[in-house]
Amino acid sequence: MSDKVLHRPPDIDLFGAERPRFDDALTRRIGADPENLERGLAQLVLTVVELLRQVMERQALRRIDAGGLSPEQEERLGQTFMELSRRMDELRDEFGLEAEDLNLNLGPLGNLL
Amino acid sequence: MIRLYAFARHPGPALPDVPGLVEVPFDGLAALCGPAAEDDREATPEALWRHEEVVEALMRDRDVLPARFGTRVADEADAVRAGTAQAEGLHAALAHVSGAVELSLRVRAREPAECPEALERRLAPLARDAVTSPPGDEGEVLRAAYLVERVRVGEFQAQVARLQADHGDLALLLTGPWPPYSFTGARA
Repeated sequence: MSDKVLHRPPDIDLFGAERPRFDDALTRRIGADPENLERGLAQLVLTVVELLRQVMERQALRRIDAGGLSPEQEERLGQTFMELSRRMDELRDEFGLEAEDLNLNLGPLGNLL
Repeated sequence: MIRLYAFARHPGPALPDVPGLVEVPFDGLAALCGPAAEDDREATPEALWRHEEVVEALMRDRDVLPARFGTRVADEADAVRAGTAQAEGLHAALAHVSGAVELSLRVRAREPAECPEALERRLAPLARDAVTSPPGDEGEVLRAAYLVERVRVGEFQAQVARLQADHGDLALLLTGPWPPYSFTGARA
């Protein structure tokens, strides 16, 4: 079902118990469903975590490129990020979120990620 | 019991590929029906979505007067009876919605507020028809459905975006296009 949202307000939180994303408007329960509220919150939290992960990853790559790390340090960094990425996938799965769900539309600024 | 999805003109284009969907003609119209299921009364998101999918598939190539989810009649003869009784109204309603879709606008505010007359003044000219419902709660400023010609949907969307920019204290949510549920004037 294509996106039914033709205009989304900046203050989407005013629409209370309804989900932050309306792409599948009819496939989400409308009303104060605790499961959905939790999922909406998880979505926001994981989006922020994903943003931080990407920022950290980029910083680490810059350090590696600049040659400031020993082979062991580079190896450990690589492993850490693989682990982080894997853990993110797990968390997303737990909350039934797709990769595209972890994004925030900033209106005229485009998407956060 | 069988499900009623919509009324449309007859004859019409070939039906979309929906199992069990049939066209029951009468008076230059047709009742579009399908087999009922045990859980028809249960408005689960999945069931609502399946109903919506059928109605939207029908709407892709014909004008329809959609029936609400859960509308059932005893059998095809009953569908014809219900339709025939209001055939004139159905023809008029089909003409009214022809080539148009429903857009749903909801406006909320942090403080209880009157609906700025600018909203309705700037939107009404872009729509063929409009229906306003009483606000659901204190935070709701406007709940309206607009019947908008398909070709003017972009214009309407742009106008809502401009209204949002002009009213930072309000939150405007526009969804659609939907089948013209609010503009059928029909009862099944």
